[in-house]
This record gives sequence, C-alpha cells and structure tokens, in this order.
Amino acid sequence: MERALQQIFNFNRKPADEDKDDDLSDSEDSVYSGLEDSGSDSEEEEGSDDDEEEGSDDNDDKMKEKKEGEVSEEKKKHEYEHDSSDEEDIRNTVGNIPMEWYKDFPHIGYNLDGKKIYKPIRNKDELDDFLDKMENPEYWRTVHDKQTGSDVVLSDDQVELVNRLQRGQFGDVNFNECEPMVEFFSSDVMIHPVTNRPADKRSFIPSLTEKEKVSKLVHAIKMGWIKPRRVEDDGRGRYYNLWASEDSSILARHKMHLPAPKIPLPGHHESYNPPPEYLFTDEERALWEQQDPADRKLPFVPRKYSSLRQVPAFSQFIHERFERCLDLYLCPRQRKMRVNVNPEDLIPQLPKPKDLQPFPTTRSLVYRGHSGLVRSISVSPSGQWLASGSDDGSVRFWEVCSSRCMKTVQVGGAVKSVAWNPNPSVCLLAVALDSVVLILSPSLADKQVILSSERLLSAQQEGEEPAEGNGSVVWSEAEGEELNQGLRLKIQHPKAVHQVVWHAKGDYLASVMPDNTSHLQVYIHQLSRRRSQNPFSRNKGLVQCISFHPIRPYFFVATQRSIRIYNLVKQEMTKKLQTNSKWISSMAVHPGGDHVICGSYDCKLSWFDLDLSTKPYKMLRHHKKAVRGVAYHRLYPLFASASDDGSVIVCHGTVYNDLLQNPLIVPVKVLRGHVMTHDLGVLDVTFHPTQPWVFSSGADATICLFT
Amino acid sequence: MSQIQARFFTEDKRYVVDDVPFSIPAASEVQDLSNVINKLLEAKNASHSKVDFDFLVRGQFLRTSLSTHMATEGISTEEVVEIEYVERITAPEPEECMMHDDWISSVDADAEWILTGSYDKTARIWSTEGKPAMTVAGHTDVVKDVAWVKREGLTSLLLTASLDQTVLLWEWNSERNKVKARHCCRGHAGSVDTISVDPTGTKVRLERARQKLKRQQRTPLMTLSGHSEAVSSVLWCDSEEVCSASWDHTIRIWDVDTGGMKTTLTGSKVFNCISYSPLCRRLASGSTDRHIRLWDPRTKDGSLVLLSLTSHTGWVTAVKWAPSHAHQLVSGSLDNLVKLWDTRSCKAPLYDLAAHEDKVFCVDWTESGLMLSGGADNKLYTYRYSAQQAEA
Repeated sequence: MERALQQIFNFNRKPADEDKDDDLSDSEDSVYSGLEDSGSDSEEEEGSDDDEEEGSDDNDDKMKEKKEGEVSEEKKKHEYEHDSSDEEDIRNTVGNIPMEWYKDFPHIGYNLDGKKIYKPIRNKDELDDFLDKMENPEYWRTVHDKQTGSDVVLSDDQVELVNRLQRGQFGDVNFNECEPMVEFFSSDVMIHPVTNRPADKRSFIPSLTEKEKVSKLVHAIKMGWIKPRRVEDDGRGRYYNLWASEDSSILARHKMHLPAPKIPLPGHHESYNPPPEYLFTDEERALWEQQDPADRKLPFVPRKYSSLRQVPAFSQFIHERFERCLDLYLCPRQRKMRVNVNPEDLIPQLPKPKDLQPFPTTRSLVYRGHSGLVRSISVSPSGQWLASGSDDGSVRFWEVCSSRCMKTVQVGGAVKSVAWNPNPSVCLLAVALDSVVLILSPSLADKQVILSSERLLSAQQEGEEPAEGNGSVVWSEAEGEELNQGLRLKIQHPKAVHQVVWHAKGDYLASVMPDNTSHLQVYIHQLSRRRSQNPFSRNKGLVQCISFHPIRPYFFVATQRSIRIYNLVKQEMTKKLQTNSKWISSMAVHPGGDHVICGSYDCKLSWFDLDLSTKPYKMLRHHKKAVRGVAYHRLYPLFASASDDGSVIVCHGTVYNDLLQNPLIVPVKVLRGHVMTHDLGVLDVTFHPTQPWVFSSGADATICLFT
Repeated sequence: MSQIQARFFTEDKRYVVDDVPFSIPAASEVQDLSNVINKLLEAKNASHSKVDFDFLVRGQFLRTSLSTHMATEGISTEEVVEIEYVERITAPEPEECMMHDDWISSVDADAEWILTGSYDKTARIWSTEGKPAMTVAGHTDVVKDVAWVKREGLTSLLLTASLDQTVLLWEWNSERNKVKARHCCRGHAGSVDTISVDPTGTKVRLERARQKLKRQQRTPLMTLSGHSEAVSSVLWCDSEEVCSASWDHTIRIWDVDTGGMKTTLTGSKVFNCISYSPLCRRLASGSTDRHIRLWDPRTKDGSLVLLSLTSHTGWVTAVKWAPSHAHQLVSGSLDNLVKLWDTRSCKAPLYDLAAHEDKVFCVDWTESGLMLSGGADNKLYTYRYSAQQAEA
C-alpha cells in the first residue's frame, strides 16, 4: 500500500527525473550480469530509499521481482522504468522523524547534497482552505505531502490505482491472479528424476558417531547411571470395564432379546395380476371354501385384476393386523439354551455287570411235564426240590439238579399258589386252589423231617376239637387216596384263594382271598393249633398279595395301589407305602426286612427302602409288559422280576448296613427262555435258596432254571 | 515255501524211524506229516500198512499247520523241532444200546459186567455185550449211584445208593443169577447221591447229599463234615485219601485215618462231578459253568486250576479219566453230548459222541476198551475205543 502510494507520489515527478535513467539501465545490465550485481544495485537503491518507510522490504520485493525477471525480461524492464520514476524525488534525508521537530525552522530537512529544503510558503488558513474546497474542482484529489510540505494533485491513473487498492484488487491491471499453477511435484512419474545424485557412501556404512553414542549409553546403563525405562503396567488403572457394575440380569435380558419374526414377503399369490397357475380352479376354490379357516393353506383367494386401480381395499386388514399382534404377544420368543451334555455323562456310574458276578446268565435246565400254564413255583429250603402248581390241576415235585419230576399230585383244580414251608425241619407244602388251601407232605426229605412234619400236623388232634373263632374257615383231614398222595390237611375258605404264604418259622401261613366288598380278605392260619383268624376288621381295598416280615412280627399287605405294613403284636398299621403304580401284582420282602420290591401290571418294579421313605426309592421300567412276579435271593444280593413279555430280568441289589448309603441297584441280565403263550410270558419267579440260580415258570407249561 | 528242521520220535516200538532231522515244509499239516512217517516206515519195512498218526510238539497236539502252531506256541523255527508221533486215536465206535425203563443215573463197569442205576428204583446188571443179566430191586426211591465192590469168582459184591437215604450192599452170584441183600447202611439224613469204593474193596465210602460225608462198612465208621451244601461227588484218591466235591464250590480232600480235612480247592461254581487219575495224579471236575477243570490235589494253596477244557454248552454232569491213559478223559453234559478229551489238546475235544437224545448223567470206561454213557433218554450206550495204546 505504502509502496503504491510512493509510486503515486512519484508519478507526477516522473518527467522531471529523466537523469536517473542511466542508473536504471546500469541496473538492468547488472540483472544480466548476475545476482551479485543486482545486490549491489539494490544497496544503491537502499540508499536512495532511505527516506521511505520500510525501504528494505521494498528492496526485497524488487529482488524477487528480478529473479522472476529472469523468466520474463521484458516485463522487468518495464517495471524498472516505473521504479526509476520515484528514484529521482528530491529526498528529505532527515529520516522517519516527527515533522513537528522542524516546526519552528524555515526548512523542513536536507536533501542529498546537504542543502536545506525550505518549507513552501503556506499561508492558507481555514477560510482559504474552505474556499479552495468550494471552488477548486481538483481539491478532492489534492493530498498534502508531509515531507515536503507541499500539496500534490493526484492524476487519474493514481486515483484509479487508489480505487483498485481500496477494492482489494491488485494494483496492476494486467496482473492475472488466476494463472494455472505449474506443480513442481506431481503424482505423475516423470522420466527425469528430481535429483540424480548417487547415494552417499555414508548411507552404506554404519555411522561411527551413532556407534559412539550407543556405546556411551550402553556403558552408562552398565554402570547404573541410566536406568532403562520401566515397562508400564497398563493393566491396572488405565483401562477399566465401564459396564462392570451393571446388573447382569439386565445384560442377560438384553442378550436374550429376540426380534420379532418378520412377516413373510408377499408372493405371486398376493399379486393383483398373478400368473394364471396361481389362480384357483373351481375345485380348488370349492375345497378352499370347505376347509376350516385354520386348515387353509392360503388365507385368501388369489384374484386377478386388469389394473392396480381396480384393486379394492383389503377387507381382512384389521383382522390380519390383529392376528399378527396376537402372534407377537401370545407366542413367547426366547432363545433355546442348548446344553451341550455328553449323554454318557448322564448315565450314573454303575459297576459293570461283570464285576457283580455271580448271577444267572444261561438257561441250564427245563422242567417239562405240566400241560397247563404253571402259575406258581417254590423251592424247598434245602434247594434240592422244586414244587410247581399248574392250571392242569397238578402239583409236581422236581429234582432241581436233574430236572426229574419225582412226584405228581393231582389236586383237582387249577393251582393258584404253592409255598414250601421255609422251616428246614419240616417238609410241607401249602397249595392254594379254588377256595381250598391244601397242606401236602411230599415226603421228599429225611425220615426224621417227615416224621416231625407229620407230628406237627397231627398235634392238634389229641387236644380239643377244632374250634373256629369264625365259622367261615373249615379245617379237615385228608382221607383215603388223598392221604396216599401226600395230602394232609384241607382248609376250606369261603372264597377263592389266590395266594398262600408261610411265616419264616413255618407254623403260620396266610392266605388271600381278593374281594373288593368284604373285609374277609386275609386269613392267618396257625398250623399247630389248626386255628384261623382274620386280622383285619375293615376293608382297605382289594388285597393283591401278602407277605410276612422275615424277622420281625410285621405283616405286609399289598392292595391295588399301596402296601400297608402292620405290626402283628401291637395290632396296628405302622407304615403305608405309596407305589405310584396302578395295580400291584406281586411283592417280595428283602431277607434283611428293610426293603421291599413290588411289581405292578403297568410294567414297573418299585424298590422301597423302608428306612428312607414311603415312596419308591427306585422305579425300574425295564419290562415291556406287566410284571407278574418278583423275588429276592436269600443270600446273594440279587432280585428278579418276571413279566408277560417272556423275560426275567435279574438285577443286582446290594443293601448296605450303613444307613447313609443307598442300595446299589444294577440290572445285570435279561433271561429269555419261555415261549409266549396266550399273550402270557413268565408267571412266577423264584431263586434257589443257596445258589445264584433263578427258576421261572411260564405260560408255556415249562419251568426254566437259569444258572 | 519255508522249511523247518524236524526230528521225529515215538515211544511206540512198532513205528520207530531213524533219529535224523528232516526238512519239512512249514505249512505241512497232520496228514502231510503222517504221510511222511508212513513213507519212512514203508522204506524200512515193506510189510508196513498205512497207519494214521497224531503229532505232538512239546506236549501239545498239532491241530493246525506246523508253522501256525509254532507261531502260537512261541516255538522258534530256527532250531530242530522235536516232534513226537503217536498212533491216532480212532473214533470210538458205538456198539450196544441198552434200553432201560427209566432215566439212568449212574453206571459202573468192570471187565465183565456193567452195573447201572436207574430212576425206576432199580439197579441192573448187564453183560458187556449188552445182555441184561439181573435187575436188583429193593430201594424205595431212585437209585442215584452204584458201584462194584469186589468180585470173588462168581460172587460179586455191589452197592447201590438211593434217595431213600440208604445204601444197600448186595451179593450177586452170576452163575445162579441170584442177588441177595447183605446189608443196609443207614445214617444219612438226606438222600445218598454218590458212593465210592476203596480201591482195596473193603471199605465203602458213601456220600449223601447233605453236608456230611460218611464212611462206613455197616455202620458209619466216620463222618466227614465240612461241606456247607450238598456233596455231589466223592471218590478215593488212594487208600488214605478221600476227595469230595460239593455244591458249596469246593473240593475237599480228607484224610481217612484221622477224618480231618487236608486240602480245600475252591472254585467259583457248583461242582457236579470229580474224577481222579492215578496215572497223571490230577483231579478233573465238571461244574455248572460248562467247564471241565483239572486240579492238582497236592497243591497247598488249593486254588490252582491247571487247565480248563471248554466245549460243552450245558452243565458237565459226569467226568471220568481213562483207566489206562494218562491224558484222556471223557465227559458227559446236559447238552446231550459225550466228549472225549485229550489234555494235550485242550482247545477242542478229540471226539464228540452225539448218540444221546437227552441229558447225559453218567459216563464210565472199562480197561477192556469200552466206554459207557447213560442219560435221560433211558439208553446206555457203549462205545469201543482203541485201548491198545497203553503207552503210559
């Protein structure tokens, strides 16, 4: 700006200062001769510019201009001509001082030759100024030059320049500020490199100074002067879990969130102009109309319209949205948690059956001879004889080790139950058929034993005449031919007897007459005194089977759904076991007396631990059909169940004396050997008293021994 | 084809060959080796007629090819193999079939007569040709065991044990064909299942089915108690020792002089029968788990099973050592089979005799070359076996 003003100021002197042109031409020569000359030239100019403000800046600008001038000399020449015009100004050499210092002097400063510059005679006062302002049309372009104290009238060019500068434009009219830039570096790969200097040698060899520095550092570290920077522990403090304190249930809920399933996109059916194969034929339409709305494959009938304009409003819209809302809120959406559990892990750790030997594994002997289904079997306490009762009206006695039928007793009726007296010093068999309980003496024992059992039976005879407390049970002696067959006593019951069991001592036996309507369902008979009594005065349901406790004076009565345990001494019920099965078929008491197994017609076998609970300790559902018989082994930890599916399943059942330890129950063997007859398989099962052998009797009229 | 160096030897004087090693193909089987021996014998003796031989490599019968056998037995093929050869035991030939009225529970045979006990409560005497000689009736229950006691000329003493808890001693004169009950031995509190006669024929040992063994002549001399369950079989090992097998899974050996128990051999299953061979001094037992086990009664630890012969599929009800052969025994089982075994070939029996149609209850041998077996099909079969090779 100032420089421009200087130019403006100097313009009017330009014609007067032609003498400086030589210098200018010199300086132009110096431009050609080199930068150094132009430097000296600029020094010279500096001297001449001393009176201007920031003359050095000006000079620098000129130097730049000269450098550019190397590119276009013509332009430079012209520039210097302009420049030369303000060089030959009458310079005031006082410098940049407040001019009021010369206020009291007639001169205003000194020119280059050291002569005084005198102030122009200024006699204008305010009035003159005003008049001048009013009258002089050049007044607006007249400026006061402080350094010379004279007034200068600006030319048209100068005014134009001032206007341009005021508008923020370049002073030079011809300067194009939007010239295209020539980029020095560009993305284009040029054929010539920016620099082609070969790489220095020092870029190949290790730096000695760096080596020196490093060795100094190493030495310092070794001496302990410098401590290597400790690795900062970022783990604590700097980062932390922003959501750590958040409630995990909320997170879990967020995690469990499931977006609602999307409505399936419409298909061709929904189109207003479906392809003809999507339109219903008449049959399809009839079928659609017949179907229940829930069964329809499509909830609407595809229709064809000639244009979209004719498509009516969707009448089902509200209904459809309603259904959708129902779907969304009535059908809970939740992520299924798939638990990755190895099925093997869920199986409890059971010992291998191999380790639980001995148990019966193979069918060794088959006892053939019966012609009807064998309902009941019993083994003598010595284990030498086996008795079986069959529907063919006979009781047979077998030698266990040879399967020889030693004796057949025709009793004249389908035998429901046989039971060998468990007392080894007597040899008697109780047989239940129709409404009679027979006492047989099979005479398959030592003579002494036979004698003692005869004595037991006849002991009553010498005493008082048989007196029954209730007249419904009649005791009578066998006579004639029956006596030769081994029959000794007949106990006539009022109703059909289904089961007969002995007490462990062998003097008492109990019989069952299932009858839903009467309380006369169970009788306990005492053999030595020929007495019968009904222990129950009330009907608790249909009695299925009964059993004596092997040691204590308890009596087990199984009705359809539960087992009641009575104390015979106190004459009260001590426990009631709930079997959770529909219909009990059979029951067996563990020789220890603390456990009961119970088979039912709904294929279940329940094990009760009497010390533990009145609910089954374990339910075994191995049979496919009704369980008909269950049995415990007297010595070995075995129990067996017989079923209508023709199989006998032998299980290992160890009972511990320790009350804390639960019985160990492992199924060990499925024994098959019976042929299915009339949909009946195995009807009874019993163990050998001393060996791990099991006998089973079947509907196919055979008895099998598994060893 | 690899070759094996083998040296053949035999103890049979008739068939001796030169003691030189031969190189034979490793794949050769019994028939090939037999041909080789026959060729050698023919070269030596022109009148030789072909004989079938069996071969023993280190005491085991050769049943497969030689190389396989040596591989399984772990015998080195580098050295000369010693192969013993014996004349092959020919299959026992069925001879007679003696029909009974009821199941046959027991049989005892000597050189001339066969004694059988039956479930029809009688004992019968048969000639070895199968002719019935006598029916001994007197028991009131099933005859469970029979035994010859001794024979003096035409008069024989025999014993029958029955379920009626008695043992009857009979005297039978074969010429007049009269039988007379001499004694009735009582004392058992249960059925008598088995009896055994002292080798010298003076004492009878009899057995019953319950827990106690009794030894008696007229009245019991001694009761041997110890078994906790039924005694199934009893025999005299020699004149001082009695051996009994029981359902309580033990075999006990008793000293008859003191009546004390000497050794107990414990098994894991019920024993049905035992037999003792004085030739090889082994006990053989048949049990309900289908195995025949061989025991050494002299062991002190009492539980050593030397060998177990497994081929039956039912209870082994009878087992008997050959009277003249140290390695052969015969067994009968509930699977209707009688099997002839050689302990040198324990994997499989020598012969299966499948004559019976029902359970086999008893087997016996005679030294005259007869093998007998009886069972629940009421038939007593006799077989003729090659008894001539009494090499032991």
